[in-house]
Amino acid sequence: MQQTETLFIQHFGNPESRLLDYYTSRMIGYQALKKAFGMGQDAIISEMKASNLRGRGGAGFPTGVKWGFIPKQSPKHKYLVCNADESEPGTFKDRDVMRYTPHLLFEGMVIAGFAIGSNIGYIYIRGEYVKEAQILEDAINEAYAKGFLGKNILGSGFNFDLTVHRGAGAYICGEETGLLNSLEGKRGEPRVKPPFPAQAGAFGGPTIVNNVETLACVPHIISRGGDWFSKLGKLEKSGGTRLFCVSGQVKKPGLFELPAGGVTIRQVIYDYCGGILNDAKLKGVIPGGSSAPVLTPDEIDVVLDIEPLQKVGSMLGSAGLMVISEDYCVVKLIHRITKFYAHESCGQCTPCREGCHWMEEVIHRILHGKGREQDLDLLTDIANNINGKTLCALGDAAAGPVLSFVKKFRPDFEAYIRGKKCLSA
Amino acid sequence: MPKCIIDGKEVEFIPGENVVEAAKRAGVEVPVFCYHPGLTVVAQCRMCAVEIEKMPKIQTGCSTKVTEGMVIKTQTENVKKARSSVMEFLLVNHPLDCPICDKSGECDLQDNSFKFGSPYMRSTEERRAYVDLDMGPVIQKNMNRCIHCTRCIRFGDEIAGIHEMVALKRGNNTEISTIDGKPLETDYAGCYADVCPTGSLTLKDFRFNKRAWFLKKTATICEGCSRGCNMELHHENNVAHRCIPRVNMDINKYWMCDEGRFNYQYIKDELRISQPRVLNGGEQQSAEWAIAISRARAALAGKKAVVLVGTDLTNEEGKILLEFLPKYLKGTPVFHFGTPGVTAVADDAPADRILKRKSKTANLHGIEKLGFKGLSVIPSGTEAVLVIRAGRAQIPDLTGVKNRVGIGVFDQSQTEDWLVVLPGQAFAEKNGTIVNYEGKEQKYKKALNPPENSKPLSETLMLWMNSQISGGVS
Repeated sequence: MQQTETLFIQHFGNPESRLLDYYTSRMIGYQALKKAFGMGQDAIISEMKASNLRGRGGAGFPTGVKWGFIPKQSPKHKYLVCNADESEPGTFKDRDVMRYTPHLLFEGMVIAGFAIGSNIGYIYIRGEYVKEAQILEDAINEAYAKGFLGKNILGSGFNFDLTVHRGAGAYICGEETGLLNSLEGKRGEPRVKPPFPAQAGAFGGPTIVNNVETLACVPHIISRGGDWFSKLGKLEKSGGTRLFCVSGQVKKPGLFELPAGGVTIRQVIYDYCGGILNDAKLKGVIPGGSSAPVLTPDEIDVVLDIEPLQKVGSMLGSAGLMVISEDYCVVKLIHRITKFYAHESCGQCTPCREGCHWMEEVIHRILHGKGREQDLDLLTDIANNINGKTLCALGDAAAGPVLSFVKKFRPDFEAYIRGKKCLSA
Repeated sequence: MPKCIIDGKEVEFIPGENVVEAAKRAGVEVPVFCYHPGLTVVAQCRMCAVEIEKMPKIQTGCSTKVTEGMVIKTQTENVKKARSSVMEFLLVNHPLDCPICDKSGECDLQDNSFKFGSPYMRSTEERRAYVDLDMGPVIQKNMNRCIHCTRCIRFGDEIAGIHEMVALKRGNNTEISTIDGKPLETDYAGCYADVCPTGSLTLKDFRFNKRAWFLKKTATICEGCSRGCNMELHHENNVAHRCIPRVNMDINKYWMCDEGRFNYQYIKDELRISQPRVLNGGEQQSAEWAIAISRARAALAGKKAVVLVGTDLTNEEGKILLEFLPKYLKGTPVFHFGTPGVTAVADDAPADRILKRKSKTANLHGIEKLGFKGLSVIPSGTEAVLVIRAGRAQIPDLTGVKNRVGIGVFDQSQTEDWLVVLPGQAFAEKNGTIVNYEGKEQKYKKALNPPENSKPLSETLMLWMNSQISGGVS
């Protein structure tokens, strides 16, 4: 196990760390913000580009490049939105960032707002995060009271207002345009792109939507430099550390902060998480939240980062690893995953609305002893007809797991279809 | 004009145009469900899949704007597979009840399924079913047939200006409904049936009336107001069954109001007078034309009379009257009438923010231009009145005028105490020119044969000229 510098995790679990006193005495304490005001917008954005910080929400888009898309002049208000919907199953990192280091997030947001010329920030937090929303509200009050939010922050002349907006419990509101619709009080449905949010986002204004962890990295980058941050990562394009959420059948599940691109899946499971529960055999790993295609034990020497996982046909997504042991039934698991996506489909576009539910029904049938030989080809075909053909990425998120499970665990499905029982459980 | 390549052919396009429209002008069909040229683009149905060079994924033709040199392919294997898969998805839960569906024969779902779908159904799962609430008098809803294209929601929001149709729940359970299941409020509700690409929203008025393929379609103009919306009258065996709007981007675009849409019904009303009628001993009876005409002349002769000319008449009819009235009803004052409160072109104005005009007749502007003056009040002391109209102009209050004669389209309840009624022809039963509020001349086209014993205005006047005044007014 490597010992590397961490940015977040040393504060997690500490009930004091959410307070402004703690943040000013033991963390960055809005000093990066002061520095940012002195740097100016262009310098901040180039520092962000140099940091190789890639969006931590799932798509992995370079943050500095994204900020650069915002037009300098805009007749409409510009908005900065923090995506705290964290709805991908297997992901629980943003929750701790908000619980334990809310001021780090706020400082990142004020810097981001200053860099893109936005005076209005929203934190769109998932409805289930009731406590976290309260923590954010309390911390926002503290920050306003000390002048780190509001008018003329630190005497810079820059104003920034921050509002917490609670969602009502829809996965699709983690998709950035679905989130913006929900924020505007509309039905939480993704929009047709283009226009992208940087051109016309919240309330029609140019908008940046960044993930919680992404924004919480910003103060570190500003205070210690893009180069320093970039070098924390072990791959050329991926800077910084990453919070990995490990769940499933491992001995020690939880949050791990590790260098981006610095570890393989095998290392995470066996070095950091102490191996598989009950020392059972590994059946598979879902590496990036439940929408990431599953990997089999012979594929886990892959480095946990965006490009390496792409090469083996999966994705890093939100860095939520779900570890499946031989003790667990993969047919049951894919049924649960598919049911989730069918339930969360917004219903706008045809392939996702009809296809996800259809897949769920077919798998349900297989699971209950009514499967047919041709069902597996049918499932694959339905998934292919969804994949890449939907309005937003939810369709792909539902299709990827089905395609990979059917391909990689075909004998398990066949056992259900023929022998009516599971190979593993 | 800039050019793009569609299926290997160089095609000119209008800047800002989407792939669906550019292809349409080039004679290439890109099938659609949710796309409607009069509504915003949502790219939801995914039917208009096309491939575009340099773009990795399938694109939707509705949401893709054509750019100079763009290479668009609509016939690749990927495109065909995408379309047929969308068709399959849409039919997984569709009831396939075409044999009893009013939309059958003119249904986008049916047509696209025939052209782009597979003849085989792979789904064996139970189909989704909904309980439908009543949506009021105009629209019959059948949610089971719905393909969630949201055209109706967008029509309400964007055109009718009322947010009454909504999507409830989500995903596979998404239900298109009115808010709280209330009846529809808009007076453009018929358009919900027009925009629906399947049999989910159909007209109650047309329900189970006629299979669509039996209908003959005549392109004509609505007579409901001075806008002159272009429409198609659908009929079979000389019976009118419905009207639907016909696209005219300068006048009504894709829409029409319910008042105009259902106005045609009086044509087949049981009470419509289709035989000459005369009042005998306090009771109206059918009569020979010759007798009725003489009685009509007698009713006016020697009395202080006025002639009222409906602004629902055509220009041609107006011109004949200009010849006829000065000679055969010499000295009798003539006024036009049609809508209470609209006595002149100057009174005509928009009646809503969409299409409707205050003048409830189609040819106010034409008739006035011919020189007729509007009626404000019947001159006092008037003893007799001759009302000439086509069925739409609202008959003014004739209280105190004892001797009433009508030429044209009337129903019995309006005229039971009139001395004579000479049956004429409604807008759908004749050709003719009308002038809308902007001065645009448009043509009525004859779709139906008039009642056997009615006559065109010209013939009625000819009989009048050649007849004698009969003795005795009852």
